[in-house]
Amino acid sequence: MAEKLSKTDAGTAFNELLVPVLEPAYGAAFHMCRNSHDAEDLVQEAALQAYKHFHQFQPGTKFKAWFFKILTNLFYYKYRKKKREPQLVDLEDAPDCYLYVQTSMIGLHAGNQDPAESIMGKMEVEHVQQAISGLPEEFRVVAALYFIEDFSYEEIAQILGKPVGTVRSRLHRGRKMLQKALWHVAEERGIVAALAEENAP
Amino acid sequence: MSSINRLTCEETLRRLDDYLDRELTAQEMIRVREHLETCEVCAREYNFEGKVLLDLKAKLRRVRAPEDLIAKISKSIAQFKEEKGG
Repeated sequence: MAEKLSKTDAGTAFNELLVPVLEPAYGAAFHMCRNSHDAEDLVQEAALQAYKHFHQFQPGTKFKAWFFKILTNLFYYKYRKKKREPQLVDLEDAPDCYLYVQTSMIGLHAGNQDPAESIMGKMEVEHVQQAISGLPEEFRVVAALYFIEDFSYEEIAQILGKPVGTVRSRLHRGRKMLQKALWHVAEERGIVAALAEENAP
Repeated sequence: MSSINRLTCEETLRRLDDYLDRELTAQEMIRVREHLETCEVCAREYNFEGKVLLDLKAKLRRVRAPEDLIAKISKSIAQFKEEKGG
């Protein structure tokens, strides 16, 4: 993504600010929309909106946060699915330390092995993507912003236009839900069974 | 630090996400760190959560934008400028 925009825009402040944020913006858009087609359209449209309103951007503030705000607003306005999708697993009741407890129950904490590496080493990128895509929208959007970029809670709050406390609590719950969803994917893909067998006494 | 300021395991675990994200006050960061230094059970959990978090971030960031995304954006901006009359 090191290339520049068209020659007419080359060298402009907008171009220089936009190009480095496109890759993470696409990543966040992908997790929000859950498909590459909408993610591409969303980023493209957000970039055009940013160009049109670039005069409103305040130099000295973070362009990335400004752009992600446009992207997220656009997602809510146009790309979100109006109908709530049925959840395959009930994530609402996800308890604390879910993965820690589950991995302990199949014996991954015994011996000298590293339980986090044991489970995460078997989880492929697509498994993790499947897990995050199962989160309810409000948690998925916060998680997309959190996991893709090292935004602070305060920055995420500004992007979403929500109080920091709301972001904090959605992130806490979102992380618990993600762990439960991840475990469900691991069960579904036979990873849990394989690990349990490997670690049987 | 006096024992009255010491966190219990439950209080520590409740702060673990914020501690991992460095989102606690300086004072709270110290209190959690002190607990983790003296409690093996919580330290194990902290290590586990930290590694899982890093792994999740790395994997979720492995989404690549299409090669032609910049070209498409460039085209739509050029089109907008043309419509706007230069």
